[in-house]
Amino acid sequence: MSTRSAVVLREVKKAFPLRGGADLEVLDLEHLALPAGSCTVLRGRSGSGKTTLLNIIAGVSLPTSGTIRVGDTDPVTLSEARRDRFRAEQVGYVFQTFNLLSALSAVENVMLAMMFADAIPRRLQRSRAADLLARLGLAERLAHKPAQLSRGEQQRVAIARALANSPPLILADEPCASLDASTADEVLAIFLAVCRQDEKTLLLVSHDEAALGAADRVIDMAELNRTEARRGTA
Amino acid sequence: MTILTVALKYLRGRLVASTLTAVSIALGVSLVVASVLLAREIKEGFIAGATDYNLVVGAKGSPTQLVLSVVFRMDLATPNIEYTIYRDLQQDPRVETAVPIGLGDAYRGFRYVATSNTYFAASPWRRKTFALAAGRFFADDPQSEPTYEVLLGAEAARSTGLQIGDRFYEGEEMAEYPLTVAGILGPTHSADDRAIFLSLPSYWGMNEVARGMAVKPLTAVLIRPKRMSDLPSLHRELNIAAETQAVLPSGVLLTIFNMMAVAEDVLRMILAIVGIIVLLYVFVSMYSATTERRREIATMRALGARRATILGIVLAECAALANVGGIGGIIGGHAVAYLAESLIGSSGLVTNPFRVDVFEPAVLAGVILLGTLAGLLPAVLAYRTEVAENLAPLS
Repeated sequence: MSTRSAVVLREVKKAFPLRGGADLEVLDLEHLALPAGSCTVLRGRSGSGKTTLLNIIAGVSLPTSGTIRVGDTDPVTLSEARRDRFRAEQVGYVFQTFNLLSALSAVENVMLAMMFADAIPRRLQRSRAADLLARLGLAERLAHKPAQLSRGEQQRVAIARALANSPPLILADEPCASLDASTADEVLAIFLAVCRQDEKTLLLVSHDEAALGAADRVIDMAELNRTEARRGTA
Repeated sequence: MTILTVALKYLRGRLVASTLTAVSIALGVSLVVASVLLAREIKEGFIAGATDYNLVVGAKGSPTQLVLSVVFRMDLATPNIEYTIYRDLQQDPRVETAVPIGLGDAYRGFRYVATSNTYFAASPWRRKTFALAAGRFFADDPQSEPTYEVLLGAEAARSTGLQIGDRFYEGEEMAEYPLTVAGILGPTHSADDRAIFLSLPSYWGMNEVARGMAVKPLTAVLIRPKRMSDLPSLHRELNIAAETQAVLPSGVLLTIFNMMAVAEDVLRMILAIVGIIVLLYVFVSMYSATTERRREIATMRALGARRATILGIVLAECAALANVGGIGGIIGGHAVAYLAESLIGSSGLVTNPFRVDVFEPAVLAGVILLGTLAGLLPAVLAYRTEVAENLAPLS
C-alpha cells in the first residue's frame, strides 16, 4: 500500500430531485481519500448512500457538487464519452447480483469489458480473459453460459470481468451478499487475494466479517455521510 | 469481441424469438419477390406468346376471347369460321404466313390444337422455336386420308406418359378414331407445352359434325403480313367482312395489362400492408428485447460502453435479422414463384421463376434499411437507458 491517494473526494454532495421541486439529499461527505493499493470496506445500513458513492466514484452518476479525483482524472469534468472511456480503463465494477450478460459465455463476458476499453489488442483478448478466469479457478468453465454456472462461479466471472482491463481501482458493491456463507468466504478470499497481488485499490461495500477483518480500513457510512449522520440524530 | 459479435450472440441467446422475427421478414419479402416475379413473368409470357403474329382472324365476337383462346388456350374457343377464309388469306399477296388453327376437345385436360406444319416452321421473326424431343412432326395428310397422328407438347407428354407410337383416345365414341403419337416437342415455356397438335384432316375426321360439312370449319387464322404497312388494310377488310373479325394481339395485350394494372395496384397495397405489419413485428420484438435487457445494457454502460456502442448493438441485431430474413425471403420468393408456376402452369406464362433479377439486391438493401429503421426506436431506448437506476439490485 502506498501513501499516494488513488481516490480523493472533497465536499461531495448528491441529491435527487423529487416531484414538486424539492431535492432528496442522499450523500454529503467532507473528505474521503483511498490510498493506492489499499483495501477499504464501506459499511452502513441500506439507503445510507454506499452505492451512490460507488456510482459517483465510477462516473456512473455525477455529484451535485464537490470535487473528485480518481488517479489524475476528475471524472466530473469529462465529457460523457470520455467518462465512459475512463470507466472502462480506470475502474473495475463488481455488482451484488453479478450482472453477467446471459447470452455470452464466461470468457466472452470478460472479453466484453475489454471491447469497451480497447486497451488490449483484439488477438490477445481471449487468452487474457482465459488466464484471468483460470486465476479465479474457472479454467474449465470458459465456454459456460451464466445459467450453467453456480452463483459463486458467476461472481468469480464478474470479478475477472472487473479485472479485465487492469484498472487501478476496483469498486465492489456487496459482491458476496447474494451468496451463501461458505461460497461468500471462498469468493471473497480469491477476490481479496487477486486485488492484493495486483496492487489494486479496492473499495468494497460489505458487512461480511471476513471482509471487515481483511480491510486496511473500515468506514462507516454513518460517520462518513453527513446526511446519514443528520438522519441518525434526528 | 465486436459490436456485431455481441449482437449475434444476443440473437442466438433468444433463438426462438429471433427465428420467428426472421421468418416473418422472410415471409413478407417472399410475398413481394414472388409477386414481382410472377407479374413480370406473366407479362413477358403474354408478350412472348402474342407477338409472333400480328393478326388473329376468327369469328365475330370478343377480341380478348379470341386471342386468349387461340394464342394462350385460356378461354373457350370462339365460334368457327370457314376453312376457305384461310385459303383466301394464304393466296393474299399481302400475307407472308397464314396458319390455320382449329381448337378441339381435350385429352386428360390437354387440348387438341389442329394446325399445319407451318405452325412449327422456324422464321427469323419468330421468337418461339420448336424442337423435337422425340419422333417427328405429324404428316401433312390429304383431307381424304387423315393419319390421326399427333405431336405432343412437352408437358402433355410428361403428364400423360404417352410415348412415340402409343395410340390413345378419350371416350368410347372416339374409340373409332384413335390417335397415334408421332412426335414429342421439347419445352417451349408457352401454352404449346400443354397442347396436343394434329393435322386439320385428322381434326375434321375425328369430329362427327365436321365430317359431314362440305366446307370444313376452323377456329382462327394467324397472320403475319409481308409488310407492316399492309396490316391496317388487312385488319380493316377482315373486320368489315360479315363473318370475321381481325384482332391485333398487341391491342388485346394492352387491355389485359390494363386489367392487370388494377390487380397490381391492389396487390401493391396489400404488400405495403404486409410490409408495415412485418416492420411492426420487428419493432415490437426488438422493443421487448430491449426492455427485458435494460439491466444488461446498464451493466455494459457501467463497464464503459458508450451510448453509441449500445445503439450499434441493437441496430446490428436488427440489420442481421433483416439480412437473414431478406435473403431467406428472396429465396422463398423464387420458391413461391416456382410453386405458383406449377399451379398456373397451364397458361405457360411463367417461363423461369428462378431467374434472378436486378431488383433483388435493391429489395435486400431496402429490407435491411427498413429492418434497421424498425429497430431505431428500441435502439434509442437502449441508448437512453439510465445506468444507476437500472443497476439497482433486484429485490
